[in-house]
Amino acid sequence: MAEYVKLIDVSKCTGCRACQLACKQWNSQPAKQTENHGTYQNPPDLQANTWTLIRFQEIEEKDGKLKWLFRKDGCMHCTDAACVKVCPSGALYVTDIGTVGLNRDLCIGCKECVSACPFDIPRYDRKTDKVYKCDLCLSRIKADLIPACAKACPTGAITFGEKGKMIEKAYARAKELGGDANVYGDKFVGGTHVMYVLDEKPGVYEHLPKSPSVPLSVILWKDIMKPLSLLAAGGVIAGSFLHYIIHGPKLPDEETGQEQKGGE
Amino acid sequence: MRKGLIQATDSFERIVHWSLAVSCLILCLSGLGMMFHSLNFLGEPFGGLKSLKYIHNITALFFILALFFTISMWWKEAGVFVFPEDLDWIKCAGGYLWHVDKVPEVGKYNPGQKMFFLVVAAGGVAMIFSGLIMLFPLHMPAMIVRLMYLIHAAGFVAIFAFFFIHLYLGTVGSPGSLPAMLTGWVSRPWLKKQHAKWLKEMEEHGTLVVYGEEKSSSHDHHG
Repeated sequence: MAEYVKLIDVSKCTGCRACQLACKQWNSQPAKQTENHGTYQNPPDLQANTWTLIRFQEIEEKDGKLKWLFRKDGCMHCTDAACVKVCPSGALYVTDIGTVGLNRDLCIGCKECVSACPFDIPRYDRKTDKVYKCDLCLSRIKADLIPACAKACPTGAITFGEKGKMIEKAYARAKELGGDANVYGDKFVGGTHVMYVLDEKPGVYEHLPKSPSVPLSVILWKDIMKPLSLLAAGGVIAGSFLHYIIHGPKLPDEETGQEQKGGE
Repeated sequence: MRKGLIQATDSFERIVHWSLAVSCLILCLSGLGMMFHSLNFLGEPFGGLKSLKYIHNITALFFILALFFTISMWWKEAGVFVFPEDLDWIKCAGGYLWHVDKVPEVGKYNPGQKMFFLVVAAGGVAMIFSGLIMLFPLHMPAMIVRLMYLIHAAGFVAIFAFFFIHLYLGTVGSPGSLPAMLTGWVSRPWLKKQHAKWLKEMEEHGTLVVYGEEKSSSHDHHG
């Protein structure tokens, strides 16, 4: 199947949070008692039952005017997904449209993905002992529907389509916006399947890494240590066998009428 | 037990050794089941991979206990190198790798065993430390937790490889060694070949316990 991408044009976002609600509705996720943190950002962070969240941020522009930034946060669906790399059970997997799916029945609640994710997305629920995150509405996509958030978006800030076309569209929009506007998502972790058109530089947005990557420790762990553990053990077993047939075991010198073994 | 056999270990040492060995083996196997997708089936007999996670975490508690006794019991004997004897032994690899006319005599533990002990002790502590953080990762910086996974994997590489060395040298690679950890009684020729200095020390201090003979003096056979 072709790869698909969800494009989020933050310049068109009005912070209405219809996407947040649609996400909860389609995925049957209840709301949680929230707290007022002196911001419209609600709930304060992604949660085990809040897989997408509009982050509200106030910045001051050069002329001293206030600018409100809205960024829809959630799983970026990396091609080189660190979470898939570390998941011991195969609960996290790459789907045939290139997104990162989550088979919750397989999740063992080890939380390895929580620390591996360069975007800090997966959230752990103590009650179910499982991890949750956006699956880009895989069930809808399979039924030829677009993700719930894209369906609900009233301004066209969230669109969904075939990867190549969406990248083209993203660059055209960034060019149209001009200034600092840029495309975020195609240049790292093998390309993400959720992309942004940002109207500020990536570094301006809170909780958005400038150049995310699969953490080095994850690469060392999974690509070096993991095979090395079997290689080293195999080497030792082979070495022991060679030692036995070439050098021979270490035997006691004298046989004073006793067997070497203590016997029982 | 045969007359003339010499006691090399007491029952406490053997119980601690096997507690550590069994818990370590369960940890290795359950860990492997979680490390490789192709070994996920190791969880099947217990109802799935999640059970394997619980087995791993609970066994770790026994491992912590066993490692504590292992280190407190053996670190003086096996954790400290004595120079220059140990260096001489290392220089000729104890006669294990090439022909050596006269291997330097060693005490209760040879430098190879000491190195193995240190790897188990240091590796075990690293596994416990990193494992505990991996168990409660949510209030730690992700950077630290990621590093712990790396340490846990590196520790496994060392311990898993050393396990097979230990298995070989404890059985077919050095016949006569296994009884030291099974019944605790070893033969005199074996002891003379493997730990001549220790045998002499025990004889001098009168702490040698020979099966079928009256104990020469003290009960403390640790020397």
